[in-house]
Amino acid sequence: MKAAAWICLLLPLASALAITLGGTTVSRRVAGYISTVTTMGSFAAAVVAFVQMLDQSAGHRGHVTTSWTWLAAGPYHFGLSLLVDQLSVVMMLIVAGVSSLIIAYSVGYMDGEAEERRYFAYMSLFVFSMLLLVQSGNLLLLLAGWGMVGLSSYLLIGFHQERPSAVAAAKKAFVMNAFGDATMVLALFLLVQHTGRLDFAGVFAASPHGGAVANLIALGLLGGALAKSAQLPLHTWLPDAMEGPTPVSALIHAATMVTAGVYLIVRCHPLFENAYVIQDLAAGLGAATILMAGLIALVQTDIKRVIAYSTMSQIGYMFVGAGIGAYPNAIFHLMTHAFFKALLFLAAGIAIHAVVGEQDIRKLAGIGKLMPQTRAVFLVGSLALVGIFPFAGFFSKDSILSAALDRGTFGVIVYAAGMVGAFLTGLYTFRLFFIVFTGEPTPFAREHFHRHHGQEGPLSMRWTVGVLAALSLVGGLLQFAPLWHPLSTWLGPIERPLAEPTNWQEWGSSILAIAVGLAGIAVAWAIYAAGRARAPRALPLLERKFYWDELYDLLWYRSGDLVARGFYALVERPLVAGSLSALTAGFGVGSREVGRAQNGLVRSYVLALAGGLAVLAVVFLSVR
Amino acid sequence: MANFLVWVVWFGAAFACLASALAVVGFSNPFYSALALIGNLASLAVLFLLLSGEFVAAGQVLVYGGAVMVMFLFVIAYLGDRTDESPWSGGPTWQAVGAVLAGAALLAEVCVVVGLKAGGFLEKPAHVGRPFGSPESIGRLFLTDHLLAFEVTSIVLLVAAVGGVVLGSHARQELESDARP
Amino acid sequence: MHGPDIQWYVILAALLFSTGALGVMVRRNPLIILLSVEIMLNAANLLLIAFARLHGREDGQIFAISVMAVAASEVVVGLGMIVAMGRRNVELDVDKLRTLRG
Repeated sequence: MKAAAWICLLLPLASALAITLGGTTVSRRVAGYISTVTTMGSFAAAVVAFVQMLDQSAGHRGHVTTSWTWLAAGPYHFGLSLLVDQLSVVMMLIVAGVSSLIIAYSVGYMDGEAEERRYFAYMSLFVFSMLLLVQSGNLLLLLAGWGMVGLSSYLLIGFHQERPSAVAAAKKAFVMNAFGDATMVLALFLLVQHTGRLDFAGVFAASPHGGAVANLIALGLLGGALAKSAQLPLHTWLPDAMEGPTPVSALIHAATMVTAGVYLIVRCHPLFENAYVIQDLAAGLGAATILMAGLIALVQTDIKRVIAYSTMSQIGYMFVGAGIGAYPNAIFHLMTHAFFKALLFLAAGIAIHAVVGEQDIRKLAGIGKLMPQTRAVFLVGSLALVGIFPFAGFFSKDSILSAALDRGTFGVIVYAAGMVGAFLTGLYTFRLFFIVFTGEPTPFAREHFHRHHGQEGPLSMRWTVGVLAALSLVGGLLQFAPLWHPLSTWLGPIERPLAEPTNWQEWGSSILAIAVGLAGIAVAWAIYAAGRARAPRALPLLERKFYWDELYDLLWYRSGDLVARGFYALVERPLVAGSLSALTAGFGVGSREVGRAQNGLVRSYVLALAGGLAVLAVVFLSVR
Repeated sequence: MANFLVWVVWFGAAFACLASALAVVGFSNPFYSALALIGNLASLAVLFLLLSGEFVAAGQVLVYGGAVMVMFLFVIAYLGDRTDESPWSGGPTWQAVGAVLAGAALLAEVCVVVGLKAGGFLEKPAHVGRPFGSPESIGRLFLTDHLLAFEVTSIVLLVAAVGGVVLGSHARQELESDARP
Repeated sequence: MHGPDIQWYVILAALLFSTGALGVMVRRNPLIILLSVEIMLNAANLLLIAFARLHGREDGQIFAISVMAVAASEVVVGLGMIVAMGRRNVELDVDKLRTLRG
């Protein structure tokens, strides 16, 4: 199993290195194949590790394998160690599996792109980083993986370097993530100071229970999680990140990287349970994000941005799950979300690919009539997203919401938010579906639509989307809490949930959730498909995304700019630049004045001698 | 009585010394300055005598007065009118002011030191006998303890003589080149 | 020691020295400057002799004789230079000789 874990981790790294070092000797198509095959190999290794783990008894499934001591300083030892336990194996399967599908899709999507090799090298690098993150055995290595996924995200968002908007979006993502990284590092400092170690088992045993330090640690970790998962208040980078190619949006900003924050909270849940205020804060922020993102998604006109805000909203559900202590439910939703969100992005990608890269839904409207297969899979994804039985989202999202009922008043508030969110999800998802995939195609769409060899898209794009559609259909059947719950059982030993809803709560909540979702669909149908009602005019508040970008611009950029300008005018120009020129001028003046003593007159030299003698005499006398 | 006489002689010699020194610095005609310096040397010789330095006093008069000053007078006579100068014209320049200050500073320092008794270095004059300062004791010291100084001094004199000849020979070559038609 | 104590000689020598220094710094005629230098040397000689008397050792007088010899040599060279200046019709003014100006 250890060998399988290492192979799973290192195959994508080998692929990235091979493509990078191979340069132009590796053709563009071959680079794509290398990346795809190695990622599939990773998935196979993850399956092997999983199967091997099945043989072991429930209590003994966690294995730490250390290759060497990475950092040894005094009493502190940090090793390059991988932890293979129930949670990490689940994450490995999700990450490797979905990544391999998306990378296979990219072979078709990015075909013909001039920089295709760079793309696949970065994608492999990302898969390696994400696997490092989920497999790491101590917080230091997790931080390394954390940073590297941020790097890969930056590289891939800004993949189209010639576009200034892409470059700006990449920088924005990176900077916000850097802020989260900083808070995380501070938390790690505190942990090292108080426990002297960073490996999970040791840290969880030795960290303080309650008190300011525990709160600070949890807060720091939460900050990192918020930044990586694009939750309130560090969410503004995710919509802009849609500048990257569509598979990138699918992989990084839907299925895997943005879920790293959830993984962090679930993995470090003892630390959060020591600081329950922070854990409640996580749930609260998640709930707020559900609502905010849902509202903003109602007015977006770019197809990818709607799906991006949907991602933000769904991760809010995961944060709610982790925040109230329903850890297996949160991971379950992470899994199903990976399936249907990737499906939605990739299906949208097929549509975008077919209409010369156009992403505006007003121009794409009605394309469904020309692309019936895409319309079908998109419908599957949308139903899964809204959470309609028997599609995947139903099982996972409801389990979180019903668990919330077990957590007192706060839980009920969160539950209410989640229900409203479910209504909004139905509304915006099917607004998108009805606008883009039903009705008559616009003249623009008709004019620019082109088929790929008679099909709607290349083969690599079609079969991967098909697989994801199948997973979105049946993936949710893995767990339905009242009846069967293998996932909770599997994760149970390490992730003991805090909230256990009763069967009654589960059933009732599920039915309510379906009803609410259907209500949303109905409203969307009424407005956008049947034209029975008129869409209300979009509020500026929603169109400006609740003014978060403007707030941050004012708070961080303008104030920093002001301070910098002030320093330049008050300090730098007079002191530094001024002092330099004053220094040189002073030297010039000084030496000119001193040079006047060299006047060639013997008498003045003698005078100088005599004067010096007088001074020296005084010195000698006083010294005695 | 003897003490009183010594004091009188001392004051006379000191007064003459200072007056002649000021005269050297003050006269515009260098011939008069040279003559004043001869007076200075003579008064200094008297002071040396008071300090039991008979040989030195004699050497002072013979060497300084008899040779050096004669040389000076020769050169002044040779150069004639070109040597005149008006030192104090145009009012005191910054140079003059500085000079006066520096000189005054040196003087003041010495007076201060003396006033502070110089840490007891000026006490207890030794008692000396008759051979002190006589040619015999000076000669003995020169040829025993300070032989090196004696020899080096003679070399210095030799070098100066050679230098004088060299400087003078250039002049003679010029004379010859001037005289050639 | 009969007559004035050593302090009187020291003061006198200081006065002489200052006068000589003043002459060197103020006068422009090189001949006068040389004469002033002689005054300064004589002042030093006076001090040497006086201290030789104070300490009862003739070493100071030896030194004074050496000083006299050196002064004589220096006057020889100096006058030789002044004569050379005169031969070349260079004006005998120290302020006019400024080629070493910095």
